[in-house]
Amino acid sequence: MSTASVLVAVFSLILGALLALLTIPVLVWLERRIASLIQDRLGPNRTNIFGFRLGGVVQSFADVVKLLLKEEYYPSHIKMGRWLFMLAPVITFSAALLAFMVIPFADTLNIGDEALRIQALPVDFGVLWYLAIGAVGVLGVVYGGWLSHNKYALLGAARAGSMVVSYELPLGLSVLALVVTYNTVDFNAMVQWQSGTFFGFLPAWGILVQPLGGIILIIALFAETNRNPFTVAEGESEIVAGYMTEHTAMKFAMYFMGEYVAMNSASAVIITMLFGGYQLPWVSTEMLLTHFSSFALAVMVVLPVLVGIIIKWMRKNNTVRGSVSTDGGRGFETKVLSSALIIMTLFIEGVFIYLGFFTENILANTLAVALFQIMVFVVKLMLFNIFFIIIRWTVPRFRYDQVQRLGWYYLLPLALLNLLVTAIIVVGVSS
Amino acid sequence: MLELSLFVILALFIVGGAVATITNRQPLFSAFGFLVSMLAMAGVFGLLENQFLALAQIMVSVGAVVVLNILSIMTVNAKEENLPKELHKYRWILLSAVLVSPVTFLIYKSMSMAYQHFSRLETVSTKVMGERLFSAWVLPFEIVSILLLTAMVGAIVIARKKDVIAKETR
Repeated sequence: MSTASVLVAVFSLILGALLALLTIPVLVWLERRIASLIQDRLGPNRTNIFGFRLGGVVQSFADVVKLLLKEEYYPSHIKMGRWLFMLAPVITFSAALLAFMVIPFADTLNIGDEALRIQALPVDFGVLWYLAIGAVGVLGVVYGGWLSHNKYALLGAARAGSMVVSYELPLGLSVLALVVTYNTVDFNAMVQWQSGTFFGFLPAWGILVQPLGGIILIIALFAETNRNPFTVAEGESEIVAGYMTEHTAMKFAMYFMGEYVAMNSASAVIITMLFGGYQLPWVSTEMLLTHFSSFALAVMVVLPVLVGIIIKWMRKNNTVRGSVSTDGGRGFETKVLSSALIIMTLFIEGVFIYLGFFTENILANTLAVALFQIMVFVVKLMLFNIFFIIIRWTVPRFRYDQVQRLGWYYLLPLALLNLLVTAIIVVGVSS
Repeated sequence: MLELSLFVILALFIVGGAVATITNRQPLFSAFGFLVSMLAMAGVFGLLENQFLALAQIMVSVGAVVVLNILSIMTVNAKEENLPKELHKYRWILLSAVLVSPVTFLIYKSMSMAYQHFSRLETVSTKVMGERLFSAWVLPFEIVSILLLTAMVGAIVIARKKDVIAKETR
């Protein structure tokens, strides 16, 4: 155990926790703003701290304060198992949180003769971990719904349980087909496999190598995370709020946050298994390290352009109508954020100029590439979360029997067929 | 020392979960006891540095067995007054514990003999496990899958309604 390995382990753990927990307010905000965009309105944009609105993200923190300060209310008809009634949301939330911890955020760091994984939980069987822990989450839903002694809650819990049972099979089979293709159960090795090319010009991403399996995986993960169009465990028009009807204040917030963390983990798994994880298409880690100067040059050109676009967009949009006399600190906010962005850009430019042209430090280059890959990962993660949100607000929800029929009659046979064909091709290629 | 204390905590959870499984009157609380017991068992496998076994334990026992158990209990949805009375429950539990005590003693004795092998156990990687399963142990593996297939077909035949079968055979 050298100092570097301890530092990298602590850093990865903190990064994992931050990526899982700090994305919750951002995701809630994105959900509301994108829903508003689709429904032709604005969404929350007024809440501020000293004039800083950050586009409305502050609203999510206000929501957290509201949920924390609410009265802890227990329905008086719940006689037994009150501790389990309270524990159930925690089970769901912690299972979703733990499932996120095996996602690699960047390629393995080679410092000295050590290979250090940038993974909150540095294990080489991430797929198994995700499937195993993901299955525990539904137990919290089932117990919470059953202990509520409420017909709607019981129905919601039963639906959630049967959904998991019916979609676990296509999920497992499509994951198995991907495991057969990549010949590993290690998420990081999967990403490395995807860094090559396919047919000479396409990036060897899972979605292109395994199109059917990839689509089944995405659909099954949508169903597992209980997102639209598969929201059968809750539904205002038929079973009220489903399993969380009787849960109030922080207990409700736990379920709510658990749903977003599960969505985040699902997008992370999708991009890791199907969309090349932390890597840009056609560009592998070795390529970045060997051609570090051109990589640094590319970053130095692209970054100011991006920051310029962001600042211009902010100047244009972070204003009030001409008829309003006071701008509520918006001009000040724009100024502060613009200067912060410009200082950050200058700093990064300086670092890259030094690393790219004035020194030949392998360690610093490795670290810079790892940070770049973390940034790519975060951007991809957010894009996929936005995809989840857009699907939720544009596709109508299915009826319960339609969901079950889709799972058993279409996805399961297709996943079995896909696995069979994949196995035949893999054996044929290797022999 | 850390390992020992972790083991004691996990063992307490295993035993407590098992006791809760047999003493609870509500089947869903029994299922929760079983769940705690299984999760703690996975923890013990993890302490033995066999992560594959620990995850397989969670996947099979928790993800499949417990979830299916809970679903079937919820489908039956027995009301409080319909549950059996269970007179002298603890006396019966004690009696059955005494009755199976020779078996318990045997298991304890064989396990304490096998301890030396466990302590020398080398970590088996998932890859080696898979290769062994599909080369040296392929026949038992296939026999088990045929057994499962038979059980599945049998369950479907039993679960089908009688008149459907009659209509089809006519």
